[in-house]
This record gives sequence, structure tokens and C-alpha cells, in this order.
Amino acid sequence: MADMNQRADLRVQTSRETPELTVVSVAGELDVSTARVLESAVEEACAPQPAELLFDLSELRFMDSAGIAVLLGATRRVPTVRLREPSPAVRRVLEMTGLTTVLPFVDP
Amino acid sequence: MESGDAATAHAAGISTAGPDLEQGVEAGPESAAWAEGAAEHARATPRVRVSRAALLTLATGLLITALLSVAALELYDHNETRLLKLRARELSLVLSTAVPTLQTPLASAAELADATGGNAQKFRAFMTPLVGTGRAFTSASLWPAEGSRVAPTVIVGQRPALAGRTGEARKLFAEAKQSGQLVLTELLPGATPRLGYAYSVPGAHGGYVVYAENPLPASRRSQLAESTGFGDLNYAVYLGRSRRRKDLLVTDITHFPITGRQASTVVPFGKGAFTLVVTPARSLGGTFFEDLPWLVAIVGALVSMAAAVLTERVVRRRADAERLAGVLDRVASENRQLYTQQRGIAQTLQHALLPETLPEVAGLRISASYVPAASGIDGGGDWYDVVPCGPSSALLLIGDVSGHGLRAATTMASLRHAALAYASEDSSPASVLSKLSNFVNSGSPDYFATMLCARVDVSEHRISLASAGHLPPLLIADGEARLLEFEPDVAIGVARDWQYSETEVAIPPRAILVAYTDGLVERRGELLDVGLERLRTVALQAPPELDQLVAGLVRDLPGEEHSDDTAIVGIQWRT
Repeated sequence: MADMNQRADLRVQTSRETPELTVVSVAGELDVSTARVLESAVEEACAPQPAELLFDLSELRFMDSAGIAVLLGATRRVPTVRLREPSPAVRRVLEMTGLTTVLPFVDP
Repeated sequence: MESGDAATAHAAGISTAGPDLEQGVEAGPESAAWAEGAAEHARATPRVRVSRAALLTLATGLLITALLSVAALELYDHNETRLLKLRARELSLVLSTAVPTLQTPLASAAELADATGGNAQKFRAFMTPLVGTGRAFTSASLWPAEGSRVAPTVIVGQRPALAGRTGEARKLFAEAKQSGQLVLTELLPGATPRLGYAYSVPGAHGGYVVYAENPLPASRRSQLAESTGFGDLNYAVYLGRSRRRKDLLVTDITHFPITGRQASTVVPFGKGAFTLVVTPARSLGGTFFEDLPWLVAIVGALVSMAAAVLTERVVRRRADAERLAGVLDRVASENRQLYTQQRGIAQTLQHALLPETLPEVAGLRISASYVPAASGIDGGGDWYDVVPCGPSSALLLIGDVSGHGLRAATTMASLRHAALAYASEDSSPASVLSKLSNFVNSGSPDYFATMLCARVDVSEHRISLASAGHLPPLLIADGEARLLEFEPDVAIGVARDWQYSETEVAIPPRAILVAYTDGLVERRGELLDVGLERLRTVALQAPPELDQLVAGLVRDLPGEEHSDDTAIVGIQWRT
């Protein structure tokens, strides 16, 4: 469990596909120590008021409640928030917390 | 002033960039106060004080300059002396070439006199072209080399000053006769002092001495013409090997004794000698080398001062940077302090809000525990409650507010009290969660909370469960442990007007139900199911006694660096 001692690393990339759709790609580990990084990226992505925010979670290995809080925060700023390709671990967390209706998945 | 402003900007930057204290606003004004303090400090420091490093640089630079200048001066001095010696030798060579020009006519005349038996006419005819103003001699005379009478037999030009000075003449002639070389007299006194030269053919047949005289120039002064190539020298020529004033023959030096740089050399002249002393009239090696020491001194001094100014600037910049760093350190340490303080407040609040004692519910054992997050992370918003409702039932509540710190703790407090109020109206779990959700969503919350609400019917061995996105409780009975998984509803604060649903579960005798928050099972980088399975396994292996089970779970399950707080409530049916 060597990486337990390492600080979690999170990479966030935002791309504005169309004026309506902004894709936020989240890679690495999203937890209490990295949530702030995503939070500021979401804040920036929401500034031009897109109709939909799509989180690409295909590279996200782990997410805890702090990460969920950021995703839920996005639902208050943008009409539609959807998630793409969450890993089984992330999918499980979302199912456990009953959030799949609020944060629906898009099929690839 | 400049550094003061910078300090303000940086201090303000730090207070926002530092750890988010949830109530970070409070840190703002204090940071500004620190920055002002720093600015005042900067103003109070006198700016005219020059640093020791700059002074040292200047001193070192000037010392090096002085050494270089002295070295250049020494070099110049050495060079000039060497050149002067060379020039003196050159001049002495030129002087010694005068010997043949004087000796040759005198020797020829001597030969002629010997050959003609001292014929006066022939002597006169030979010497006349050489005697007179502007010619080689002013006086020439023929003298018998031996005999009792020492007097000239023929005189051409002026009467010789030697005539009548019998002793001197006798001595001079003997010397000439013996050496066969041009011999010189002492300076002969008179209106104008004169110098005499004598020559006689050596050996038995040399019967005559030819003697000539020249006056010294007026005041013995004469310039070396610029055209001779010795215009850069002043000189003095002495008769013989002495440098006595009375032996001075000719010079262009005005002040005696001669001081300063000088070179002297002895010029052999016939049987006698001259002493030549030269001094430089100007720099012999050229003006550049003369000016070099000054040039070095001026340039060196300028460079030293520039280096000192540069050093001073560097030193000041470093001092500014250090002062800034000090301010930033202080801000950071105060922030840390505030952070620790707040963490302490949040934890204290959290502990104060959790039930001190658990209620007595007939037929039920109840045990609960709360473990704060490991230090470094703020306290969380986990809570639990067990409320009796009716003679044989109780409501179990456990929740987790997202976020950390003081705000999570206060949010937790308001949620907990609201939940208790709604529970007293209607003990249906779905109703409690729905009302709570409406209460929270009537504002625009920037948090969410997961919650599990279970109504426990002790005698009927049944529970009704409603979950707002909370992790499933664990049921341990008959040597088995299973998670009571069912479709959870959304977390509190996520969706408006959400209707929460209930699930009923039958409970076997003496079963244990454990509800917990995510800190118990979540580990970073691990699937949630792995954590849940670990909980199941550990719970099964634990002693079946409730208090020990709860204590064992909170001791063994959270990871080494658990970054989240953990709440756990267990109930056990006594029958």
C-alpha cells in the first residue's frame, strides 16, 4: 500500500465542446485533499453558463464524499450535469449514495 | 516603501491562498494588520545606512586599486631608471667619440714637430685652420718635451693659460710623454676657465709636446640640441671621476645638487675621464606609462565604487526578501494557529453535540462511538442519535455532513436538532428524511448530508429503514453478517421535494445492527466494496458482545491516515 502514503494526485482538463456543452475530464484520485482543484475548475467551467456539464470520469480511480460534494455543487450551477464512464469504484460510490438520478451516467 | 507595499500584497495573497478555514474571512483583517506592521517596520529602518558588505567591497576594491597603482608606478619607475641608464651609456659613447677628433690633429702636429725639429712655421701652418672662435681649439702651442725651461716655443691663437704654471706643465707633459695618449689638465682658472689637452709622441724620439686649450662655455652651460637625439635628457659633465662642483665642465641643469632620478657613467677620455650625469627632462618611456598609475587608480576607484553600490543593492534586496519571508512565515504560522484553533473548536462542538449518554430502551443494548479524523484534517460533520419513541421502539439516526471544520459542525448541529424535532412529530423514517430534505432545500444549501434513519421495533423484531444516500447498515445474526442493501434515496440537500421511501427488515433474535459513517470503511484508492467487505469480516470475527464489537470496529477499521471522522452506532436485541 505504498501509494497510501503519497499525496493523491488529480488532473483536471476542461474543454468547451460547444457553447452549450463543456466537458470536464477528471483523472487520478478525487478526495478531500484534491477536491478543491476540481472545485475551482468547475467554477471556471460554469462561468460562461453552459447548458450541460459533462464530467468524463474514465480516468478517475477513486472518489470520496468530498468529490461527490463538488459534483453535486455543479448541479446547482448548471441545468444538466452528467457523468461519462465512471469506473466501477466510482459508480459504486454514486449508487450507494443514491445519486444516480441526480448525476446520471451517459452511455459512451 | 516599495517593499512595504509588496509585503501588503503578499500578506493578502497568503491569507487567501492558505488553508481554507471555512471562515477564512476572519483571517483577512488580521493579515492586513500584520502587513501594516511590516510596512511600518520598513519605514522605521533608516535607509541611509550602508551595509557592511558594501563597505567591505569598497575597501577591498580600493586596496586592490592602490596595489595595482603602486605596481604600475614601480614598473614605470623601474622602466624609467633602466631607460635612463641606457641613454646615459649612449650619450657617453657619443662623448667618447670626441677623443679621436681632438687627439688626431694634436698627434699629427706632434709627429710633424718631431720630423721638422720643431719648425715653427710648419707648426703654425698646420694648426692655424684648427684654432679660433668656432673651431676645435682657442689656443694651440708647441712645447719642448724636456729641458730645464718649460715654455711654449710656438703659440697659435690665444696665449695658453698653462704658460707660467711650470709645475703643472711639467707633470702634464711627463704624463703625456709616458702614456702616448691625450692627457687632460685640471680646470685652469682664468676669466673663463679652460681645459687643456696635451699630446706627445711616446718614446725617445718624441721631443715635443703639442698642447691645446678650450674655454668652458659661459657659466659652463650648454644645451644638448634637440636634434642630437638626447633632447629628453638633462646632463652634467664633470672632469675626472668626481662630481664636485668645481670640476663641472658643462651642463644644462639649473639646480644643484642633482636630485631625483639620475644615472651617471664615467667616460674614458684619453688618459683621463669625464663623469657624465644625466637626468630625464621628461618621461623616457612615453606619457602613457607615466599616466598609467593614475589611470589605474581612477578606473579602479570607479569600479570599486560601482561594485560597492551593486553590493549594497544586492544586500538590500536580500534584506527585503528576508523581511518579506519573515512576514510570510508569521502569517503562515498564525494561519496554522488559527487552523488548529478552529479544528479544536469544531471538534469540541462536535463532541458537545453528540449525545453524552445513550437512552435506555427496554430490550435493547445500545453502544456508540465517535472517532475524529487523524490530525491535519479538520473535524467532520458526523453525528448520531438514538431517540426512544413509544414503550418498545426507538429511532436511530446517523448522518454525515459533507465538508469539514466549523461549518460542517454547525450544519450538523442544525440538521440534528431539526431531525429530532421532526422525529417527535412523526417517527416514520421516510417522513423524517422528507421533512428534513424540504427544510434544507428551502435555502440554497452549499453542502449535502447523507443520513440513515431507522425505526427500531424492539418487541416485533423489525426495523424500517430510510436512507438519504447513506451507506447500508450491517446486520449480524446467527453467525452471519450482511449489509442491508436497498435502493437508497438522494442525499439531503441535493434535490427538492424528494419523497423518501422506507424498507422494512425483519430482525432475528439477539441480532446486532451496526450503522456507521463512511470514515469506517472508506480508504483512498480502494473500492468501496473492499471496505464494506472488510467491515463484514472484522465484525464477524469480533466478540459477539456489543460494546466490544463497536470498540473493536473503530479501533481496527479506519486506515492509518484516516482523513475522515467516523461515527458508529450499534444496537443489539437482548432477546
